[in-house]
Amino acid sequence: MRKLKKAVSLILTVAMTLSFAACGGSSSTVASSSAASASASASAAADSDMSYVQDKGTLVVGMTDFAPMDYRDENGEWIGFDADMAKAFAEYLGVEAEFLEINWDNKLMELDTKGVDVIWNGMTITDEVTNGASVSEPYCNNGQVVVVPADKAADYTDTESLSGLTFAVENGSAGAEQLDELGIPYVAKTTQADALMEVASGASDACVIDLLMAGAMIGEGTSYPDLTYTVQLNSEEYGVAFRKGSDLTDAFNTFWKEAYDEGTVMETATTYGVQESVIEK
Amino acid sequence: MLLSVTLTLLEGLGTTLQLFALTLLLALPLGLVIALGAMSRLTPLRWFVSMVVWVVRGTPLMIQILIIFYGPGLLFDLPLLPRFGAALLSFIINYACYFSEIYRGGIQSIPKGQYEAGEVLGMTRSQIFFKVTLIQVIKRIVPPMGNEFITLVKDTALVRVISVYEIIWMGESYIKKGMIWPLFYTAVFYLVVNGILTLLFRWAEKKLDYFR
Amino acid sequence: MPVLEVKNIEKHFGATHVLEDISFNLEKGQALAIIGSSGSGKTTLLRCLNFLETPDRGQILVNGETLFDAADPSTQREAEIRRKRLHFGLVFQSFNLFPQYTALQNVMLAKQLLAQEQPEYKARKKEINAEIEAEGRELLQRMGLADRANHYPHQLSGGQQQRVAIARALALHPDILCFDEPTSALDPELTGEVLKVIRSLAEQKTTMIIVTHEMAFARDVADQIIFMDQGVIVEQGPAREVIERPKQERTRQFLARYAQEH
Repeated sequence: MRKLKKAVSLILTVAMTLSFAACGGSSSTVASSSAASASASASAAADSDMSYVQDKGTLVVGMTDFAPMDYRDENGEWIGFDADMAKAFAEYLGVEAEFLEINWDNKLMELDTKGVDVIWNGMTITDEVTNGASVSEPYCNNGQVVVVPADKAADYTDTESLSGLTFAVENGSAGAEQLDELGIPYVAKTTQADALMEVASGASDACVIDLLMAGAMIGEGTSYPDLTYTVQLNSEEYGVAFRKGSDLTDAFNTFWKEAYDEGTVMETATTYGVQESVIEK
Repeated sequence: MLLSVTLTLLEGLGTTLQLFALTLLLALPLGLVIALGAMSRLTPLRWFVSMVVWVVRGTPLMIQILIIFYGPGLLFDLPLLPRFGAALLSFIINYACYFSEIYRGGIQSIPKGQYEAGEVLGMTRSQIFFKVTLIQVIKRIVPPMGNEFITLVKDTALVRVISVYEIIWMGESYIKKGMIWPLFYTAVFYLVVNGILTLLFRWAEKKLDYFR
Repeated sequence: MPVLEVKNIEKHFGATHVLEDISFNLEKGQALAIIGSSGSGKTTLLRCLNFLETPDRGQILVNGETLFDAADPSTQREAEIRRKRLHFGLVFQSFNLFPQYTALQNVMLAKQLLAQEQPEYKARKKEINAEIEAEGRELLQRMGLADRANHYPHQLSGGQQQRVAIARALALHPDILCFDEPTSALDPELTGEVLKVIRSLAEQKTTMIIVTHEMAFARDVADQIIFMDQGVIVEQGPAREVIERPKQERTRQFLARYAQEH
């Protein structure tokens, strides 16, 4: 029975990944995807996940290039608020942090099949991830914001004004969920950055991305000086995801509380300009 | 900036070319084995091989990559293959099946009279294969093989679904830094590689042009 | 003793009887023509002699040796068939030259492969190859193709290709040279050069079996003629007699129909 469930879930996940990769767009697949991933990871971590990680000596962190949370410095070293904290957590566990850029669509499959040990990449806590993984207590506040060209920003100040626009959004993301709720159709992209590129190139009128990312990546003095963000669609929180049933989740929560009390969290957050979003412990 | 992007993309191209070369190295002989299986006199073997070829050719390569990489872990809790290894395995299986059809077409297009002429001249089966039909088969499969090789170069882009960092992945990574052009710049590298392949195949066709 | 003895050969494809109770002898140095309409079984008979088809019944003897006996599986081993078929040469209707080899290479190939299997080949490699080449050139010269030795088949006319094919078959010195409608795939103006070559082979007392539609040619060149219809031998006798004074009604009808069409 367990095997059968897994087989079904593999087929569903593959179908989902493909439907997204092909062109995305249809929002109905988002709901089924969370169900599929949920059963996929239902029985991943049997014994202690922590001893598994400690035995092999590395904590494989699944992430994407997502400034200011995870990105490379001039030497190619991974840095960022999440990256630095992940290194600290690895040290806390007595292992090495190993960063692996993954295809975000496959993050729960990566976790479940032990391709990675943790998803730590400014991940918004959604139903999909709470069903499919063991998620930590939230550590950052975030929201989904609408990005438009700066010269048109004045026309779009509330959700009603958005209905005529064409949207791009990262598929399966929290932003996509928001658009689904509003009943606004969109083009699904692989990453938030791809969605931004759609707007920058004029292929779409607007996109929805994380507030944290918008703060760091658009506006004057950034890569996209002609874009700005207007409407905030919701409030949400970032969390870190471990395998279903993993004892690493508790270890993380303890670690984070200690690091917060010592001041390490705020110190690191200030380095990357996200101190205002960090949740008080 | 152009230089640093070029260097980064070349790094990705290295992975792309490795996948390309290793796939050819292993899929070309495997394809011949599959072709012989598909033409075997043993009916169950023939059915089995045809079935496999049908499934592999009838499903998207991207699904095959996902299944080979994630399947063992999801279904049997087995440790995953290395990412590049899984990508390579998918490509070998997929391309061997395509190659097998090309081999089969080439072998079956040789007139029966060529075999019979060899037989009545007292040649053994292997003499007929190596001395008579092989070069004729090669001549016939060179053009379709050229197409497959070029498709293979471009198909390698698919492996980024399992986070193998080939050239397009490298190009895409710049988008996050606000640079769009490196992604489009990757096309130049594909063009160069495929240009070289095209010239090689044209040369081979010309070399084999001395007979009809 | 006849060179070739064919005894009670039968062949069927499924329910269709292609050959029924075929028996005949061929003496050394004689030319035998087999005539009959398409589908009469003539080609199948030639293919049986060359081991391209396996008869369901009967025996084939060459120089008194039983090469094939349908009742004796030990005569049908693949390894030995290779040696046995060298008693026969076969010239195909559609030439079947090897396109990647020149005329000379086509003639030499089989002989070279056989020579390579000889134990003394390594020691006398150069000498043997020179012998084979000299013989190949001589054969092409006999076919009137000395100046075409280095041409590839696609550079030759149909008549020239067929003459190369004859040289190729002769290179292995078969006891019996078989022709399967050697001029049927040729344009009418090219048949003459091929027939001329076969005629000169007959004059040199080459033992031959010729399946042909050319009645005048069969009458003039062959010593014996077999007329086949629907898988059986209807009439068999000296060439001139069978063509000019056939004894059987079916032979007469066939020849009358042939005369009308040509």
